[in-house]
Amino acid sequence: MQLIEGILFEPVGCLAEFPSEEFNEIAVRLFDRKKKASKSASRSEDVVPALSELKAMGIRLVIASSLSDTAISHFLEKFSLKDFFSEVWTRDNASGIKVVPLVKAIINASFKPEHVMFLTDTAEGLKVAKEVGVNSILMINDPDEARRLAMDDPAGGIVSLHELPDFIRLIVAENARLPRL
Amino acid sequence: MKKISIYRPTSIEEAIQVLSLHGTEAGVYAGGTDLLIRLKNRLKQAPTYLVDIKKINNLRYIKEDAQGGVQIGALTKIAELAESELLAKKYPMLVEAVRMISSPELRNASTLGGDILQEVWCQYLRGGYACWRNGGYICYGAIGDNSYYHSAMGGRLCYAVYPGDAATALIPYDAKVKLATPFGMKELTVEQLVPGDMMVDGRIQSHVVRFNEILTEVVIPPPKPGLRASFEKLRPRGVWDFAMASLAITLQLRDKTIEDARVVFGGISGKPLRETAVENFLKGKTLSTDLGNQAVPVALTNAAPLKYNATKIDMAKGLLVSGLVRLNAAA
Repeated sequence: MQLIEGILFEPVGCLAEFPSEEFNEIAVRLFDRKKKASKSASRSEDVVPALSELKAMGIRLVIASSLSDTAISHFLEKFSLKDFFSEVWTRDNASGIKVVPLVKAIINASFKPEHVMFLTDTAEGLKVAKEVGVNSILMINDPDEARRLAMDDPAGGIVSLHELPDFIRLIVAENARLPRL
Repeated sequence: MKKISIYRPTSIEEAIQVLSLHGTEAGVYAGGTDLLIRLKNRLKQAPTYLVDIKKINNLRYIKEDAQGGVQIGALTKIAELAESELLAKKYPMLVEAVRMISSPELRNASTLGGDILQEVWCQYLRGGYACWRNGGYICYGAIGDNSYYHSAMGGRLCYAVYPGDAATALIPYDAKVKLATPFGMKELTVEQLVPGDMMVDGRIQSHVVRFNEILTEVVIPPPKPGLRASFEKLRPRGVWDFAMASLAITLQLRDKTIEDARVVFGGISGKPLRETAVENFLKGKTLSTDLGNQAVPVALTNAAPLKYNATKIDMAKGLLVSGLVRLNAAA
């Protein structure tokens, strides 16, 4: 993998946890641009330390999502995450869904796709990443689902966001060295 | 199996020169019970240049030092440790532990240094999956069967458990190791040597030994009067297997009062897991049959089992009770 300059995040599933039985309902609410989010949703505890560390490492963090402006704004405000992201691309300001917010994010930030990770926990996310040419990183939330998604050949996978800085450091070390494995 | 080259240096200095020359493509070859299997299984991470250190003199010994401690050469066979009268007299728990390592045939071949620095035995790594330790970027243990070879205490990219028993048993004795490096000898505690899932020279490994360093000796300080120790290991097959959970404890006793304690769990984490919360709980307590049950609520409170291995934590806690019962009976 080449040196990583930026990370694109799908917010739901990567930055916050939702009880699985409520997930579908929440997703519908967010897509419907309703401001009321589930009270039982919680920010994953490793998110703030990991995002802080990544920012300190000089990695640019960007939201790239098919959700609406309203849903994303509410999400970032509710979980106090807004300041971590240099850009936020949604279905509204990107004028499209799926690959469109990713492409807009990459072009606007002048990233080369091979220097970008896209963190996702869905089959759709992996597919989109592949289409755009970024490194798809599977967020392993549910092991059984992740096992199925691993068949889609993601570029990598992490169990917790706290592993992401180590992931980046490993790539730096690999590119720096000393012949790799 | 890929083509390999074997060097047979006759001195540590020569071996370090060869290792430095080939970088991470070289590896130390001692007993071979880990390394050769990695080659045979065609792992990408297996070295191409083997530096056979068996011709180097003075790396295979067990001797008492002037202070009453013991020095063990890194090339000493596990079977030699298991049969050593000196070790049995001074550190019976270590002998108990090494007798549970693997099978008699493998104990005759494998070395102390190799046991301490061995690669993890995750079935996905050993099966050639492109995981973190084998050229890839995902832990298959985290998404697959993790009931046996994987950590129940969290992980750092790789979730495999550290498999060695010798290090688990050496840490409670406050043992140290000597590493030969291009810049001279370096000394570390065994605990510092195997901190688990470290990124060293661009690789994920359980220990901190760099590509051009060689473990040469283990030094165990003299045991104080009143030191009691216990090692127990739970494994799926009693004849030979890696630990599902193991526990090495030492207690420094005055009568039945615990003045100091070391509590180290094996088989449940990416490193031999020193449980200082339990050690602190035990200090000042009187050893009794019920002390283990009292210690259990303090133990492993930050456990983070994967989907299929929560039972490892139950096993480890059971070993804590059992270990303290054993020590109480022997005191």
